Amino acid sequence: MAKIRDRTEDFKDVVRQTALSLGYNESKMASILSSFIIHKPLQRTSFTKAALKTLESIRTLEQFIMQHRKDYVDMHRTTEQERDSIEHEVTIFIKACKDQIDILKNSISGEEANSRGWLGIRGDHSNADTIAHKHGVVLILSERLHSVTAQFDQLRARRFQDAINRRIPRKKMNRVSSSNATEIPKSINSELREPDEPQPEPLRVQQQLLDDETRALQVELSSLLDAVQETETQMVEMSALNHLMSTHILQQAQQIELLYEQAVEATSNVELGNKELSQAIQRNSSSRTFLLLFLFEEPMEMGCELIDLQPAVF
Amino acid sequence: MALNLRQKQTECITRMLNLNQPVNSTGTANEEVYKILIYDKYCQNMLSPLIHVKDLRKHGVTLYFLIDKDRKPVHDVPAVYFVQPNQSNIQRIVNDASHSLYDSFHLNFSSSIPRPLLEDLASGMLNSDSINRISKVHDQYLEFVTLEENLFSLAQKSSYVQLNDPSAGDREIEEIIEKIVSGLFCVLATLAVVPIIRCPRGGPAEMVASALDQRMRDHLLSKNNLFSEGGNFASSFQRPILCIFDRTFELSVGIQHDFRYRPLVHDVLGLKLNRLSVPGEKGGMRSYELDSFDPFWVANGSLEFPEVAIEIETQLNKYKKDVDEVNRRTGGNAEEFDGQDLIGNTKHLMNAVNSLPELTERKQVIDKHTNIATVLLGEIKERSLDSYAKKEYDMMVRGGIDRNELLSVLKGKGTKMDKLRFAIMFLISTESIPQSEIKSLNVSLASANSASRSNIVDWAEKLYGQSISAVTAGVKNLLSNDRQLALTRTVDALMEGRPNPEIDSYVLYDPRAPKSSSGASHLKGPFKEAIVFMIGGGNYVEYGSLQELALRQQPVKHVIYGTTEILTGAEFVEQLSLLGQKMGLGSSSAPPTH
Repeated sequence: MAKIRDRTEDFKDVVRQTALSLGYNESKMASILSSFIIHKPLQRTSFTKAALKTLESIRTLEQFIMQHRKDYVDMHRTTEQERDSIEHEVTIFIKACKDQIDILKNSISGEEANSRGWLGIRGDHSNADTIAHKHGVVLILSERLHSVTAQFDQLRARRFQDAINRRIPRKKMNRVSSSNATEIPKSINSELREPDEPQPEPLRVQQQLLDDETRALQVELSSLLDAVQETETQMVEMSALNHLMSTHILQQAQQIELLYEQAVEATSNVELGNKELSQAIQRNSSSRTFLLLFLFEEPMEMGCELIDLQPAVF
Repeated sequence: MALNLRQKQTECITRMLNLNQPVNSTGTANEEVYKILIYDKYCQNMLSPLIHVKDLRKHGVTLYFLIDKDRKPVHDVPAVYFVQPNQSNIQRIVNDASHSLYDSFHLNFSSSIPRPLLEDLASGMLNSDSINRISKVHDQYLEFVTLEENLFSLAQKSSYVQLNDPSAGDREIEEIIEKIVSGLFCVLATLAVVPIIRCPRGGPAEMVASALDQRMRDHLLSKNNLFSEGGNFASSFQRPILCIFDRTFELSVGIQHDFRYRPLVHDVLGLKLNRLSVPGEKGGMRSYELDSFDPFWVANGSLEFPEVAIEIETQLNKYKKDVDEVNRRTGGNAEEFDGQDLIGNTKHLMNAVNSLPELTERKQVIDKHTNIATVLLGEIKERSLDSYAKKEYDMMVRGGIDRNELLSVLKGKGTKMDKLRFAIMFLISTESIPQSEIKSLNVSLASANSASRSNIVDWAEKLYGQSISAVTAGVKNLLSNDRQLALTRTVDALMEGRPNPEIDSYVLYDPRAPKSSSGASHLKGPFKEAIVFMIGGGNYVEYGSLQELALRQQPVKHVIYGTTEILTGAEFVEQLSLLGQKMGLGSSSAPPTH
């Protein structure tokens, strides 16, 4: 589709013609035309190299998540432990990428600080445009990382949703069994009262006592289990909420970075603007002083004419 | 195949930002990921309704500058230039290259760069020995501004004045026609369609149509052209129709007051490139964006103003109800607080947190439109725009109003411009204008402090004194009672393709057909899609009316509306007054040139 729109061939043609008309010799022509075909390998700064490396890591992370996505989400393919280990790996990976981005960010501000040292004149490699460009690269990288993190957060949220859903029916089951358990002690108590009057064999009484103890223990344990499971559920919910919150916090961090970049770009204009303003103020005040002096030095006999003149001066 | 101009333009721009390599979403590590974008003023206006700064970053653009700004070197990055092909831009590019500002230059021109400029570029580069920096040169054919999916503008100023200027020579007229044709060609190239062209006889419309036809024929001669990728649509069913009109066809639309939301916002508050600045509630100026991502704007743009106010109210109540519901479900209901409900509450809390962004967005939209509507209401009340709109509508339908009513309006509320527009509408709507009326009109206009503009009335009368009076009568006849514009009726007739005395005289051009063939009847058949172009200036009233027409049809048709520039009523009347001055009607002593 882009064939007809590509005018590079036309341009080369024109270059050849113009070079001929300017009287370039053969070797010069050849070198010019060859520079079109073979581009000099670009010498990249360390910053760009590091940025590309970070980009590569983020891409790898994305691929990793893609690969393990099915395993992670589907309930029956993996155990809880495997899911935890996937989560753990991804978290480490994210942290590593974030560190790389931080290093890049600090290198920009480090360079900025260094270059300001000498009489406030910036060096060749760190003018306002380049710094803004580097900030832009860092911002793009962190946005990329954030989108990958958000994807993973969604998967995590689904996992927790499933976990919560599983807890609810179990809780209901526990409720039913616990209501049954409360009835048993009553019946045990009623049974216990009875053997007081007759005189059965001591063995049976002992056995009954043992049974009672067992049942009491059972009740106690099941209620403990209840409590523990309830706490676990609450913990699961809390961490689910936490993860949601962390996504939003990360988003905020992004916005802050954006403001920072805008501020950097704006400083070049604001500096100039401030300079102009201060010059204008200076000019204004100096001219006013001059005029005041001029007027005051006039002898007072000038009287009303001067007073008439004054408004016109301003 | 619905033509979506905005989407196609965005695709072209995305491809350009990707250094004109095919957009590959999975993407292997592309070495040239980060780039700098440089544009000129025209291209900036073109990009701003289409792409936000955030989206630029998605394509790896770290910085974006105007070409005229003082720029510093940035190493290691390719620079993407997107500019109009003219002398000053070429000079600037040569300058940048000679100072080695960037590592490689990818040049993209918004329309086809002519050979002489290419030669200038080449010689400049050779002289400064920086030819190795240029990587690619592309023609993008994107020299138009798309405001909405079906609305575009060529952003060419004052074309009405230039075309009707009595002192303009053949050369100047040709240049203007050439510019318009170039813009239209870019639109068609982006859509990749070869339409059937129809236009009324005589006037700029026919000139543009024949020049465009010629240009497309020449272009289609080469095998690998811009239109071959669209596939070959032989039958007229698939090809759209391009209808070209001139502003003089229907002057009233450009001048009259309208009371619907979108035209009001444009006319009264000055909507430009989908951006609007209004005084906010707390005193400062607030800037808003009104485009197809604003659901309220899309849904209610064509409603009359009172209905819009009611709609805002409804949305606000709905929002409040939703917020209350969220609060109720997650709020502290202490009596129900036991373990069982904790899970339910947490679920609701999670849902609430997820729905917060959506609720905030809805509130922002409602606030935005409340602010706009409040400011609008203030203006309407001050200038009593509703009565202007109603009276003008009545005038056009009935053909004139009572003289006393006219004078009372001129003495009443409204700015000078409002009264002037009303006066011109009166002239257009009445068929015969006795001389005494003109005099009294002049007097009342003068007394309303618009002495300098009273000459407009003279001009208008003279204009209609020419053969165009026939057009006026024709225009009036075309208006039916249900407020349909003449343009809309004509486009409807052209799209239907049935024999119709109004349009039978229209000229037909088909760039694909060989020159000798007669206008085959099948080419006039019903069209599903149309592109309507207005030379000299258009506005949102016409756009809205055409969209209504398209949606009314069974099955739904598709109409794209474009113009040389989008003008408010005031701006158009300014152009008319300029034209009046050029015609020598400014002073009473100078005799009229026609």
